[in-house]
Amino acid sequence: MATIQITNLYKRFGRFTALNGVNMSVEPGEVHAFLGPNGAGKTTTLRCLLGILKASDGEIKLFGRDAFRDAVDLHRRLAYVPGDVNLWDNLTGGEVIDLFLALRGTRPDKERRDAYLQRFELDPTKKCRTYSKGNRQKVALVAALASEVELYVLDEPTSGLDPLLEKTFQDCIGELKKQGKSVLLSSHIMSEAERLADSVSIIKEGLIVFDGPMSQVLEQGIGLEELFLSEYEGRS
Amino acid sequence: MTMAANFGRYFLFILRREKIMSSVWIVSLVFFSALLAAVYPGLFPSEAALQSMAVTMNTPAMVALMGPVYGLEELTPAIAMAQECLIWFALAVIIMNIFFISRHTRLDEERGRFEMLVSLPVGRLTNSVSAIASAFLINLIIAVLIALSCIVIPMDGSTAAGGLAYGLSVGMQGFVFAAVALLAAQLFSTGRSCVGVSFAVMGVSYVMRAQGDVAGSVLSVLSPMGWGLQVEAFYGNDFGPVIGLFIEGVIIAAIALIINLRRDIGMGVFPARKGRARASRFLLSPFGLAWRLSRGSFLAWAAGILMIGLTYGAVVGELERFVEGNDIMKRMVEGGNAAASLVDAFIAMLNNIMSILIAIPLVNTVHRLVAEEKRGRMEPVLATAAPRHRMFGSYIIIALMESVVFSVLGAIGLYLTSASTGLVTLEVLMKAALFYLPALFVMIALSALLAGWVPRFSAAIWAVFAYSFLMLYFGRILDAPEYMVKITPFGHIPQIPVQEISVMPPAILCILAIILIAAGFLGYQRRDSGR
Repeated sequence: MATIQITNLYKRFGRFTALNGVNMSVEPGEVHAFLGPNGAGKTTTLRCLLGILKASDGEIKLFGRDAFRDAVDLHRRLAYVPGDVNLWDNLTGGEVIDLFLALRGTRPDKERRDAYLQRFELDPTKKCRTYSKGNRQKVALVAALASEVELYVLDEPTSGLDPLLEKTFQDCIGELKKQGKSVLLSSHIMSEAERLADSVSIIKEGLIVFDGPMSQVLEQGIGLEELFLSEYEGRS
Repeated sequence: MTMAANFGRYFLFILRREKIMSSVWIVSLVFFSALLAAVYPGLFPSEAALQSMAVTMNTPAMVALMGPVYGLEELTPAIAMAQECLIWFALAVIIMNIFFISRHTRLDEERGRFEMLVSLPVGRLTNSVSAIASAFLINLIIAVLIALSCIVIPMDGSTAAGGLAYGLSVGMQGFVFAAVALLAAQLFSTGRSCVGVSFAVMGVSYVMRAQGDVAGSVLSVLSPMGWGLQVEAFYGNDFGPVIGLFIEGVIIAAIALIINLRRDIGMGVFPARKGRARASRFLLSPFGLAWRLSRGSFLAWAAGILMIGLTYGAVVGELERFVEGNDIMKRMVEGGNAAASLVDAFIAMLNNIMSILIAIPLVNTVHRLVAEEKRGRMEPVLATAAPRHRMFGSYIIIALMESVVFSVLGAIGLYLTSASTGLVTLEVLMKAALFYLPALFVMIALSALLAGWVPRFSAAIWAVFAYSFLMLYFGRILDAPEYMVKITPFGHIPQIPVQEISVMPPAILCILAIILIAAGFLGYQRRDSGR
């Protein structure tokens, strides 16, 4: 059974069609890169996957169950980092991390939380109001990584991180992979995706235009970046 | 003057940023000032009406609330207006100044906008000097326009000197607090603490004045708000306090500038307090989060409603004199209940108004559900195992709880200051207040329905609110037809103690509320969440 199985997913907002029949699957234990430029439908797909948006048509199965109807149960088994992290001005980073861990309902592991705080060099005593974009992203990342779950859904998690912390992030993903966790990583940093991913989906105007294992990309003798650009420029 | 290099451009830049915000403040303040000047003569058609009002105003509770009474021997509507209104205008202008200065100094610094500006060839003090100078200008504009509104609109006892004393007192009190906020902005490193500390100074200043005015002591003059009232507008027209307040403001601003020169950008004299590294147990649930986000507003409203209760309770003993010879007031209090005793009619009217006021924070609490969503903060929460129905339910429960607490607090406030008259009992006051709960439940339920189905139009609840307010407040004066009052949620509540207790209408409202909340809940379960 696939960890994520998306079949013919449509999402319309009024007259505008954001997703035009998306098909995608993520197998257990794999890191799946989800690529596409801004506005192609990455975040909409992820929001449908999380039951935040309701699919107009099609089917989304998470661990074999309906992603919208069984959202609450399913969310105990995954952790999510939004692309645009908005937090509460008045709460400290530490409070937000504890809150997310508690709401996720996984057993809180203080050592693990503190270890990630250290690795990402985040001061948990500061109010979220004073955090920069990168620091807000770190709060969401620590809250996700410190959760003991089966699937990690990360929406451009490194867009605000410096190169050193980007490296730390890649190490963390490597560790999750070793533990057999599944990761859905949306990104537009090709080198990051190429290094981490076992398989790749490329989305264009609400439609998946490439879906396959990383090995297939490499077999073609071109890098991920060239493949991506050819999907977007070459054939249009 | 390299320390304030490019002052002129920066000054204009601040004014440009203020184009809308400050214009709205200025226009509304002047509008209200003109409105009051137009209305006041009509409130006191006779010398007797003025005198009886003055007697009411001369009680300790009223002096503590609005300041000392003056000019008793030659009362005019203008004097009455200044006595009763100056302090409220001053409070409004002070609040405007505190936010204005915080916005242009500490908040800019905190948000990192200031850094960009400082990298340009501007002096170390340019920002602070421009901020306080533009605050001064805006205060001056307000002062002159308020003065003009009093002079232009014909009112017995109104003079040019009086209008100026009135307007300048308001403006200079504002200026002093602009300086206070500028000082606070140097001492503390967040916009929030700058605003908070300035408000605390305002509170202390108000209480000092109240104490001083009642006791006739020097405390009044030490408080900027007390000193400002001593202009005795339209009577003594003493400009001494105006000049004094101006000097006070300049000195405080100068101290702020000296500190500004010595500190680093982004830092305060007092370091920011560290927050908690770990969350308390109470935060860690959907309800805990909702409560935490609602707590500040809850406490502020609780205090405000208690204050209002205390204020109006103090009037109960003076009611006869208050209403005597004043037709508008009489119609308003008695409404359709001319047969009832004045005190009973007053309590019924007051609860009517209090209940609609209480609806504001309740609607805000439910609206927070949508506001959180629009600001993108619901997304990470719903991506955890927090069920939608618990987020929805948490805000509804908090709003329901608030409705009960606020109603009880209002009644207690009324009772505390009116108990000594022996005209009221706590039981009657409680009943009168609590019978409005079903109407408040319906307001909560309507907000819930909108939040559940059409979050984009959730502000539509304010139309219901505005209509109800108009009907409850002015319906009696304007003799609006009965059905126009009855279609508001508040129109069906028995007006205790004037009317008989009736159980059916409130019960039906409760059932309606339950149905609407359930409907909103269903909508929230199945709709898209997000911006």
